Amino acid sequence: MTDLNTLQLTATTALGGTLPQEARHGALRMAENSGLALASLTLRRGTTQPAPFGLALPGPGAWGQAGRHAALWMGPEQWLIEGEGLAETDFATALQGQCPGCSVTEQTDGFVAFEITSEAGEAPILALLARLVNIAPDRLRPGMGTRTGLEHMSVLVIRRAPDRLALLGLRSAAATLWHALTTAAARLG
Amino acid sequence: MLIPHPLLGLRDAQEFTCLGDAALLNRPDGLADPQALTDYVYLRDNPAGVHRELWFHEQGDRSWLVVTRNTLTHEILGAELARDVALRAKGAK
Repeated sequence: MTDLNTLQLTATTALGGTLPQEARHGALRMAENSGLALASLTLRRGTTQPAPFGLALPGPGAWGQAGRHAALWMGPEQWLIEGEGLAETDFATALQGQCPGCSVTEQTDGFVAFEITSEAGEAPILALLARLVNIAPDRLRPGMGTRTGLEHMSVLVIRRAPDRLALLGLRSAAATLWHALTTAAARLG
Repeated sequence: MLIPHPLLGLRDAQEFTCLGDAALLNRPDGLADPQALTDYVYLRDNPAGVHRELWFHEQGDRSWLVVTRNTLTHEILGAELARDVALRAKGAK
């Protein structure tokens, strides 16, 4: 029988591998980000807006970062909080400690995150965005993000920097989303 | 068709689902006046022209909007958060 004390368990990534998948098309590099911790934050009536992990919670359509933490506006008085490299920690409990009185729900294993990086400035990112989502480019400038549809799936699109884009989607549709993303990137030519 | 979301700017109508007449915001007290509740549940105006409707930003920020729309020309005349409309009506009472 296996000795449970010496058992090493390796988490399976959203795409089913033991290591995150990567792909490269032209100047674009795409990679599954299996280390991203997520938790939703919602204000309750009468609570004041907190500043978890030193984050200034962004307004409508915006995204903001402070160190390894980031926040995306999801709706009136609702945000999605990201923790880079914290997926294997109890992120929701840590966030709840920063936001007394607010509603916090763990989201890490509900989503898959893909990070897209361009080696040739923002032009390839803008070209890819035009193929992926029906959002005006001035609504996805660096520091902005939104929830929208991509091939009938709900996704979160975050413009982390001029040359960096993140795509968060339903974990159960991870392979479908990865296929949509890599196919669009491959066809950019 | 583009809907001018008051918070997020112009968004594709495909991201929304339409519920119908914005008069649904004004629910009468069914115990005080059963006939008014019956009318509220079963009767709808179906105007050819300017109409106020409830739209839900399902693939977006999940907010309810009151969209003013011309049903003859499909022109969108404006949109505001249903929450603001409801709170204003509450304040006016």
